[in-house]
Amino acid sequence: MGVAIGSAVPAGWLKTVSANLAQQENAGQENAGQGSAGGPQDRVLVVIQLSGGNDGLNTVVPYRDERYRKARPELGISESEVIKLDDALGLHPAMRPVEHLLESQRWSIVQGVGYPSPNRSHFESMDIWHTCHSKKDRANSGWLGRWVADQKSADLSDSLAVHLGAETLPLACQERGVQVPSLASLEQMRLRSKVAATMSSESSPQNTNGGLLDFVSTSTQAAVQVSQRLENVLASPDSSGDFPGSGLGEKLRVVSRLILAGVRTRVYYVSLDGFDTHANQPQAHAGLLRQWSEALGAFTKRMQAAGQQDRVLVVTFSEFGRRVAENASHGTDHGAAAPMFLAGPKLPKLLHGAPPDLGNLDDGDLKFEIDFRSVYASVLESWLGTSSLKSLDGDYRSTGMGLGLFS
Amino acid sequence: MQPLIMQPLIQQTPAITSNMDLEQIDPQWAWEPWQASEQEPWNESRLRLLLRRGGFGGEPKSIAALKNLPHAAAIEALIGSDAKREQERFEEDSAQLLAAVRAGGSIQRLAAWWVHRMIHSPSPLIEKMTLFWHGHFATGADKVIDTELMAQQNQVLRKHAIGDYRQLVHEVAKDPAMLLYLDSASNRKAHPNENFARELMELFCLGEGNYSEKDVQELARCFTGWEIRRKSFRFNSYQHDSGAKTLFGVEGIESGEAAIDQVLNHPAMPMFMARKLFRFFLCDEPEASQELLAPLAQKWVESDHQVEPVVRMILSSRLMLSGWSIGKKIRSPVELAIEWVRALDISTNLDRLSKGLGAVGQSLFHPPNVKGWDAGRAWINSSTLIGRANLLVDLLQDANTRFAGGDLNAWMKSQRITTAESWATMLEESLLAIALSDSERSQWLEQSTQGNRFKEMLLWLSQNPKLHLT
Repeated sequence: MGVAIGSAVPAGWLKTVSANLAQQENAGQENAGQGSAGGPQDRVLVVIQLSGGNDGLNTVVPYRDERYRKARPELGISESEVIKLDDALGLHPAMRPVEHLLESQRWSIVQGVGYPSPNRSHFESMDIWHTCHSKKDRANSGWLGRWVADQKSADLSDSLAVHLGAETLPLACQERGVQVPSLASLEQMRLRSKVAATMSSESSPQNTNGGLLDFVSTSTQAAVQVSQRLENVLASPDSSGDFPGSGLGEKLRVVSRLILAGVRTRVYYVSLDGFDTHANQPQAHAGLLRQWSEALGAFTKRMQAAGQQDRVLVVTFSEFGRRVAENASHGTDHGAAAPMFLAGPKLPKLLHGAPPDLGNLDDGDLKFEIDFRSVYASVLESWLGTSSLKSLDGDYRSTGMGLGLFS
Repeated sequence: MQPLIMQPLIQQTPAITSNMDLEQIDPQWAWEPWQASEQEPWNESRLRLLLRRGGFGGEPKSIAALKNLPHAAAIEALIGSDAKREQERFEEDSAQLLAAVRAGGSIQRLAAWWVHRMIHSPSPLIEKMTLFWHGHFATGADKVIDTELMAQQNQVLRKHAIGDYRQLVHEVAKDPAMLLYLDSASNRKAHPNENFARELMELFCLGEGNYSEKDVQELARCFTGWEIRRKSFRFNSYQHDSGAKTLFGVEGIESGEAAIDQVLNHPAMPMFMARKLFRFFLCDEPEASQELLAPLAQKWVESDHQVEPVVRMILSSRLMLSGWSIGKKIRSPVELAIEWVRALDISTNLDRLSKGLGAVGQSLFHPPNVKGWDAGRAWINSSTLIGRANLLVDLLQDANTRFAGGDLNAWMKSQRITTAESWATMLEESLLAIALSDSERSQWLEQSTQGNRFKEMLLWLSQNPKLHLT
């Protein structure tokens, strides 16, 4: 008695979780044979952000293109090395751990993704991907933050979106009045002092003026709730299986643990940093792509083993690709359009959009063909079964659906 | 229920209130030096505000010494360097510690060394500004992988902490840790590397939108051949592109040094720095208007890129000291921990403390990226809030933690604190910028009735949301 923080947590949540878990286990067994998913309202989205600007050309390699060879005399990846997708394109050899996804048609590449008037600053371009607005609009909320605000789900005890990582909450997940928890690790969310807590004592709604005090007060309340919730996830056995020990592997292990514990979060956001390969790119880039593929491979296998593979979609993006021509430091500088990646459920097509046209560059950079917001629209509408209009602050439905990303 | 929860400890004047919008504030009024008056006397809470923003709060001893000084003398004590003897002794100790850290080569120990400086330096403003520059010229040890070079850079930032910004930029541009971090060390004539050139304009001097992609490419050419040899800068003329370059439409720029001068002379530069310093010292949000910042930018120009006059103008301004600025910033993890340590005369395991800072988002020598720490609301999320409470709990419960060398009860006795009531008052004054409401305060006193009551009260405070505001 006397532990006041407990009172912040809805009384019935434990019941909800175990009921939910049982339901999902049943669903998993039922669906295991046919590999079909439940309705869109049960689906989960995992966003992986590759920070720093992933070199799209050396990720999805146009290995037969002479212009590629010429632009990349040192960094080019040869036909014998790539994992062939067709007779023009191949994946970087470090991406072997996702080959099983290719074979089972659970992998898609959206080529030439970007936006008009590309910005080559990491931060500005990342902001554009997060807010769906150009710099001049000065938006301070992100597409997933607005998506959370748009869902009518007051009955849910779990946050609709969760960010995993020690870094700052991504702008994509921000919106005034919305609390997207940021978890550095499950263990770190344990409150170590059990003194009668004040963490949620003072935030009467009539005082809200959107100022910093309101912000720290409501954030504190949310933190205590999440902490309590996770105590119980930690108390349940860890059935998440084998994951690589890398940073991203650990994050996806936690995501899988939360999903398998029946947490009803619908969007998870993780990032992998280090793609700003201005110098000594080959080793660094291969290492990063390996880390990404291994973590993704382990995660999708874990979902498959639990019969959840058809309800969890993983989308990977980066803020821009890199300059077509390599620089003198065995690296590449900031560029523009690049591929996005989808993985998890059965997907109708391996390749969307046209391969990069190296004969038609914009100041040394690839031109974009597909607006990233159409991809978001398609994911929000067709995958999550929700409206994309408020989330994207615009209507990208027709181009999004036109892509045919999901069957 | 308290109707008003924002209760600054300082009385407001009719001229300005703490909830007044930034755009309602008259720039002329804002930057006039604050003067004590009958309505706005110079008192301990103003002194504490000044010490929090210009440093890392104060120990009971220094508060007692400073609070009897007139306000101008207190400002001078913070900004000026009159504590010569104390300074010399401290620098001797710190240099010895640093020599040991350098010999060991551990970046974690270097961070602990810096934490020691922040706690004990007689010139806290210098350490605060060194921290500012570390976030400004953010350089990560993970990429540099050389503790010696990180230590060197830290000393460069400290040397010019409130000095000549021009000199600082020139030195940072040739600083080996920076050269490594932004790949300029491998910037060759045949294919210039744009990383440093871009960030010099975007993050260090001008801000996005004040240069073109062409400027980035041209500037990168100016830095070709800037290399490192035996942990020092070296100019390699064979790798330098000596052709003429054009920057911001100015033709005939050749060397990297000339290019840096060109960037520093760009008209956008003073406003860019004014904005950054304003946010660091005064208020996290919203962004200040150009009009409000104009006098600061003007001061920057007048004083020819000297940092000290602008910092002085901010710290001694009406906007700072009238009371408007209270609660307008979120404490960084470093501020939270160091102010806590100083207020309670704590000595503890600094390795563990500096590691603990990393767990709540401010690992010294490991800024998140070249943009440094975003600060403001970005400090706060579920993890960091739980982490902040845990950090303070760990600090209190660490077996190495002492309060002025002894245990908590002995220290409190030395401070003449014997009742929960007087303990609450002392903690509130020294650790909170915004007063607790009556109901919070009575809850605090009621709930802490078991076990070691005084320690329980500290733990209670470690979880209070107001602790994160300054």
